[in-house]
Amino acid sequence: MMRLREGLARLTGAFRRHRAEDDLHAEFESHLEMETAEYIRRGMAPDEARRQALIASGGLTQATEAVRAQRGIPWLEGITTDLRYAFRALRHSPAFTTVVVLTLALGIGANTAIFGVVRAVVLKPLPHRDGDRLVYLRQSHDGPGGESILFSVPEVRDYREGTKTLGGIAEYSPFTFTLRDGNDALRVTAGLVTGNFFQVMGLSPILGRVTDATDDGAGVPPVMVLTHEYWMRRFNGDSSVIGRLVKVDSRTVPVIGVLEPAPYFPDRVDVFFNMVISDHHVSAAMVQGRTHRMTEMIARLAPEATVEQVRAEVAAVHERVVTEHREAYDPASHFRVAVIPFREALGARAQLMLWLLVGAAAFVLVIAAANVTNLTLMRGVRREPELVARAALGAGSSRLRRLLLAENLLLTLMGAVLGVMLAVAGTGLLVSFLNRYSARAGEIRLDGAVLGFTLAMSVALALLLSYVAALPKEGAFAALISAGGRRVSGSARKHRLQRGLVVAQVAVSVVLLAGAGLLTRTMVQLSQVSTGLRTEEVLTMNVPLLELSDARILGADAAAKERYQRMLQELRALPGVRAVGLGSPSPLRRSTVVFEVKAEGKVLAVGEAMPRGELRTADPGFFSAAGIPVLRGRAFTESDRAESGRVVIINETLANRYWPGEDPVGQRMAWTGDVLRFTPISGDWRTVVGVVGNTQDGGLDTEPRPVVFMPFTQMMAIGGGFVIRADSNIARLAPAATRVVRRIVPTALIENVMTVAQIKDQSVAPRRVNAALVSAFGLLAVIIAAVGIAGVLAFSVSARTNEIGIRMSLGADGGMVQRMILREGGALLAIGTVVGIAVAFFATRAIRGLLFGVTPNDPLTLVGVALMMAAIGIVACWIPASRAARIDPAITMRS
Amino acid sequence: MADKLDVKQGTLALMILRTLDVLGPLHGYGVARRIEETSRNRLTLNYGTLYPALLKLEQEGFISGEWRPSENNRRAKYYALTPAGRKQLARETREWHETADLIAAFLAPRREAR
Repeated sequence: MMRLREGLARLTGAFRRHRAEDDLHAEFESHLEMETAEYIRRGMAPDEARRQALIASGGLTQATEAVRAQRGIPWLEGITTDLRYAFRALRHSPAFTTVVVLTLALGIGANTAIFGVVRAVVLKPLPHRDGDRLVYLRQSHDGPGGESILFSVPEVRDYREGTKTLGGIAEYSPFTFTLRDGNDALRVTAGLVTGNFFQVMGLSPILGRVTDATDDGAGVPPVMVLTHEYWMRRFNGDSSVIGRLVKVDSRTVPVIGVLEPAPYFPDRVDVFFNMVISDHHVSAAMVQGRTHRMTEMIARLAPEATVEQVRAEVAAVHERVVTEHREAYDPASHFRVAVIPFREALGARAQLMLWLLVGAAAFVLVIAAANVTNLTLMRGVRREPELVARAALGAGSSRLRRLLLAENLLLTLMGAVLGVMLAVAGTGLLVSFLNRYSARAGEIRLDGAVLGFTLAMSVALALLLSYVAALPKEGAFAALISAGGRRVSGSARKHRLQRGLVVAQVAVSVVLLAGAGLLTRTMVQLSQVSTGLRTEEVLTMNVPLLELSDARILGADAAAKERYQRMLQELRALPGVRAVGLGSPSPLRRSTVVFEVKAEGKVLAVGEAMPRGELRTADPGFFSAAGIPVLRGRAFTESDRAESGRVVIINETLANRYWPGEDPVGQRMAWTGDVLRFTPISGDWRTVVGVVGNTQDGGLDTEPRPVVFMPFTQMMAIGGGFVIRADSNIARLAPAATRVVRRIVPTALIENVMTVAQIKDQSVAPRRVNAALVSAFGLLAVIIAAVGIAGVLAFSVSARTNEIGIRMSLGADGGMVQRMILREGGALLAIGTVVGIAVAFFATRAIRGLLFGVTPNDPLTLVGVALMMAAIGIVACWIPASRAARIDPAITMRS
Repeated sequence: MADKLDVKQGTLALMILRTLDVLGPLHGYGVARRIEETSRNRLTLNYGTLYPALLKLEQEGFISGEWRPSENNRRAKYYALTPAGRKQLARETREWHETADLIAAFLAPRREAR
C-alpha cells in the first residue's frame, strides 16, 4: 500500500522532473568517482578503474528508469509524454490533421447543438412543481377547426365534480387586450385564470403574489400577474413594478406579482388576469352556456392516481354528459376529450421536427466517424514502418495502442473544441426556429450537461478510432522487422472495411439528401400555392376598435363605423392608391368567429356533420381591392344598407358544400346553433347574392374553410381590416397609411401592417428554415462522403502504384488505368446509392407530417438525389483516377 | 549455490536504516560499500537497486538527503536518519527478530519439534 506521504511526494515528483534528473545524475557521478578513486587506490589504471566502476553500477540507464519509476506516477507521465508525442506526430501531417479535425468538428458540432435542443425541449424536467403530474385536456370534434374547441364553464364543472382522479383543475381562457401607456397602444395576449390556476400548475411568484380563491367571482377587483418574459421585456425586470396601475382597455388594473420563468401553453402569453377583467367571462352567458367554449383545462393528478385512471374517468364523464345534453353535442361531429401529459403536450409540435434533426445530426456524425476511420486506417498503413521501428526499439503492443489513443484523443478533442464553437454559433438560429414549435425553446442552453455529452462523444470516438486500427500482434513484429519494415499494402480485411465504410457513407448521404430534397420541394410547392388573391401589390392593416363583447355599449358601433368611413376616404386619397376596401378580418387572416351554417331546403343526412362557417364582413370595395374573384352573382354594393334586405356572399367551399353543381345565388342561408344566443348575431335567413373564390386564410398549407361574408353595414364593426391596392411598391405605402389612421384614431391599436407577399412569406418561412437546416446537413454529408471516396481511391492508387506501373509497362495506356480506377470508385458509388435509395424509400415516410405537395416516395426527388450523388461521387473519383493515369512506369519499376 | 545473493524484498530498507544508524550520515556509495562489506561481499548492490530504495525511504520521510562536501573535497549527497526513521528502524528490527524466531522454530531439527 502506498502511503499518503509517499503518494504526495510522487505527485510532486511527477511535475518536478528536470531538477530531480540533474540531481540524480550528479549523485550517480559522485558515486562513480568515489568508486573509481577506490579502484585506483587499489592499484588499477585510471581508465580501467572507471570501466570497472561502470560495470559495478549495473547500467546507469536502467538505474535511471528504476528511480524514475519510483519517483513519479509512471502512467501520468506516460500520458503527458504520449500527448506531447501525438502533438508532434500530428504537426508533421497537417493535411490529415486538418481534414480529420474539420470533419469531426462538423459532426460533433451538429450533435452538440441538437443535443442541447433535445435536452431543453424534451429531457429537462419542467419548472412546474411535480410537473409530471400535470395533464392537459383537449376537447375536439371532426371537421375543420375542430382540433381543439376548448371547454365551456359548465363542462369544466362536470369534470371537476365528476372525477376523483383529478386533484385540481385550473381554468385558463385565452384573450387579448389593449394595454395603454400614454399614447401608446399595445396588444397583449393574456390568460384569464381561476384563482387556483397557479397552485394547480405548481408555479410560484418571484415577486409579489399570484391569484388565489379570493380573486374568483364577479364582485372582486381585477388584478394582473406578469409572466417573467413580459416583465423582462416590457418592464426591464424592474422590481418596483408591484402595485403599479396599468390601463387595460377601459380599466385600471394593479400588478400584483411576477411569475417565475415557465414555458407558456397552449399560446404565448404576456400577462394573467383573474376572470373579472372581462365582463363577458363572469356573465351568465359564459358561466351557464354549455356550448360557450372558451376555456382551456389543465389539471393535476390526485395523489396515487395514474393518467390511465384519469382517462377512464374522463371518458365516463364525457359519455354521460353527451347523453344528458344532446343539443350541445352534434353526434355526427364525434365530440371527444383527450387526456395528454402536460410535458408531452408542450413538446408535441416540436417532436417530429426534433427527431428529424436528431436523425440528420446523427447521420452526419456517422459519416464523419466513418470518414475519419478510413483516414486513420490509411494513415495507419502508411505508418506501419514507423510502428515497426518503434516496436524494434522496445515499445510493446499496449504502448503503441496508448500512443494511437493519445493521438486520436487529441484529434477528437480538437474537433470537439471547434465543434462547440460551431454549436454556439448555430444555437441562436435553432432557438429562433424552434420558438415556433415549442414553448421551451427559450430554455435551450449549452450548459455543463451538454458539454459533458460532447466530451463523452469525443472520448467514445477516440476509443473507436484507436481500436479499429488493427495493430500487428506482439510476435508478428519480429517478422516485420526482419522483412525490413517495407510492406505498404494493407491486409484484405482492412480493404474490405474501408470499402464498406465508403458504401455506408454514400448510402447515408443519399438518405439525408432525399430528406432535404423532399423538404425543399415542399417549400417550393408551398410558395407556389395561390393565396386566392389575384394581385400581390396589396397592403393589409388591422385597426380593431371594438370587440364582440362591446355589443351592449350604446352608440359604440355607429361611432366606430363613422371613423372607419373617414379612414377609408383618407386612405383612398393617398398618392398611388388604386383601391381601398374594408372588411373583418383582413384577407389571409383567419376569422375566430365561427358558427354553424344551415341552408334553406337542404336537410342534412343523418350522421352528417353540420358545416361551420367563418363569419367575415366586407364593404363594397373589399373584393376588388383585394383581388378576390367574384365567381357568380355580384359583390356588395352601396345599396346593401343596414336597413335593406339581409344578404351574404359565400366562398366556393361553402357553395360546393351546400349547392354542388347548382347556382347558390338567390338561395337562402342562416347562422344556427345554440351558441348564437350569447352573441349579437341573429339567426335570420339571408339571401346569397354572390360566390367568391377561396382564399388561404389559415396559411398556404391548409384546406380552405367555409366562409360567409356579411355586408360591413349589416354587422357590428368588429376587427376592422383594411385592404389597400396600389400601382407599385406597396411596402413603401405602409408608413403613410399608418400615419393617416393615427390621425383619426390616435390611441387605437394598429396591427399586422403587412403586404400580401409578407403574409405569404410568413407561411412559407418555417418550411424554408426546415428545408435549409436539413439541406445543410445533407450537403455536409455529401461533402464528407466525397472526401471519403476520393481518399480511399487515392490510397488504393498509391498502394497499387507498383501494379499500375507493371500494367503500363505491359502496354496499358493512361486512359485504361484511369477507367480501371474509375470503375473501382464507380462500383462503390453505385452500391452506396442503391442502398441509400432503398433505405430512403422507407425512411422518408417518417417525415410525412412535414411534407406538403409531395409524397414521401416522390420519384422525381429520389432520382434527382441519386443523380446528384453520382455526379459528385464521380468528380471525387476523377481526381485519384487521373493521378493514376499519370504514373510513370519507368520511375515506379525502378523504386 | 550461487556466489551472490539477491537482496530480499523489504530487507534492503532495513539494512540501509541500520547502516545510517551505525555510521551516521552517509552517501550512496558509502551505504553500498558498507552493506557489501557487512555481507562479506555476498551481496552486491547496483544503482538500480540502491537508489530507488533510498528515494522510497526519503519519500516516506525516514531519511533525508543533503548535498555536502565529502572527505576528499568532492560533493556528495549524504543521507541521514530522521526521528521517524529511527522509530521505523526500531519497529522493523523488532519485527525482523520475531519473524526470524518464528522461521527458526519452524526450521528447527526434528526432535525439538516433536
